[in-house]
Amino acid sequence: MRNGLKEWVDGHVTITVRGKRFERLLNMAIREGIRIWNIRRAGEELTRCDILIRDYFRLRPLLRETGCRSHVEDRGGLPFWLVRLRRRAGLAIGASLFFLGLYMLSSFVWTVQVSGTRHMDPQKVLQAAEQIGIKEGAWKVKLKEPLVMQKELMSLLPEATWVGVEIQGTRVRLQVVEKDAPVKPLPTSPRHLVAKKRAVISTILPEVGKSQVKVNQLVEKGQVLISGIIGNETRQQVVSARGKVRGEVWYVSESSLPLTQTMQRLTGESQERQYLLIGPYAVQVWPLNKQPFARSENTESRFLPSYAGYTLPIGWKTVHTSETEPVQRQLSEQEAAELAKRFAREDILRMAGKDAVISDEKVLHVTTENGKVYLSIHFSVIEDIAVEQPIVGVPQPPAGTGKP
Amino acid sequence: MKRWSRLLRQLAGGVLELPQDVVLEVPRITMIGHLQMYIENHRGVLHFSEKELRLLLTNGQMIVSGEQLVIRAILPEEVLLEGRIGGVKFLETGPQGS
Repeated sequence: MRNGLKEWVDGHVTITVRGKRFERLLNMAIREGIRIWNIRRAGEELTRCDILIRDYFRLRPLLRETGCRSHVEDRGGLPFWLVRLRRRAGLAIGASLFFLGLYMLSSFVWTVQVSGTRHMDPQKVLQAAEQIGIKEGAWKVKLKEPLVMQKELMSLLPEATWVGVEIQGTRVRLQVVEKDAPVKPLPTSPRHLVAKKRAVISTILPEVGKSQVKVNQLVEKGQVLISGIIGNETRQQVVSARGKVRGEVWYVSESSLPLTQTMQRLTGESQERQYLLIGPYAVQVWPLNKQPFARSENTESRFLPSYAGYTLPIGWKTVHTSETEPVQRQLSEQEAAELAKRFAREDILRMAGKDAVISDEKVLHVTTENGKVYLSIHFSVIEDIAVEQPIVGVPQPPAGTGKP
Repeated sequence: MKRWSRLLRQLAGGVLELPQDVVLEVPRITMIGHLQMYIENHRGVLHFSEKELRLLLTNGQMIVSGEQLVIRAILPEEVLLEGRIGGVKFLETGPQGS
């Protein structure tokens, strides 16, 4: 029924009407389509009401007709606001200039941030960005779409796999993802690959160099497997031999194991102790007395509040102590032998180096003496047998005609 | 003649189940507690003071009495009245009244 916004925009006045025939005036005004609201009696023959400025002038002939008189009491709405504002022009201009300035200043780039550089110089990224217009003080309107700028930056920075351009208000963020350069093998001097153990070759894969042995050939320790000297008699060259040679190596392992094994078993008795950590010190908080366990196992957990790489010097430690007791276990000869074999296997593999495989094993003999099992086992292990040997005393490539 | 049309209207109201205010040209009044009153279908203001609002109807008058009455808005056929409304009274001065 009423439109508050329209009233405010058009401007309204509060008037008092003095006259006997106010009701008649009201009816006539309504019929004319004049909007009147907030009508209230202020006394005998005196009524106060609100009316639009526009309608106020239309009301005047009706006032004359009904013999009423009006008096404006209060003014409200936008037109009166503007009048008041004109009186304080300085303030209005200042406020609008402030917003204009704020808007204009926010349409420039004020900071350029580079992140993600590891080997590259951030300055280089900034220079590349400047070439396509991203620099401090640049007008944001002149900048192209971030995706387009990304492509241009990427073509300017061949070292980067990807460059992200992100405009956040007056800040431009350049996220650089560098290419991971392939790890270059270290330049090696001319060398042979020789056997480090007496073995039977099972596979030989020369990458650089000339293979000197065949599969299933027995090689002695120090024998050249892949030669670093290539070419024929007349044209020779010295290279750094590279390749993979695996051979079968025989080992005889002696192992012994007592039949009685002592193990630690939990008794079920346990205690939990709380500590307050202050710097390097731990202060026992609860319980005050320590449980006297003859043998025990401790597990502890620490709680140190940390945020963004900073750790508080104060923390909490909980130690859980469980009592243990030794238990004797009698193994049968069979079990002991199995266990001893397992230990021997682990031992051999540790000795043979990584990616060694046991291809065959044979128990040579088992004896039980003085409560111990003695085993001797024969293992054939396939392992890497190549080892580098530098070639010395040979003229270097340009001459190229030496004899090893 | 007028009696016939009245009868016809009442009949239509009954048969077609039209709302009474549409058919009979009587005011429709909506009240929110005793604080606000919305009157439709009036025919003009006869008297208005802090204690009383007298409205002209198609046949008769309507008197709203109360305290601190204020006409919040008024249109040719609608009035929104606020204040502490005490009572509503109808004076029939229709064709059969006088």
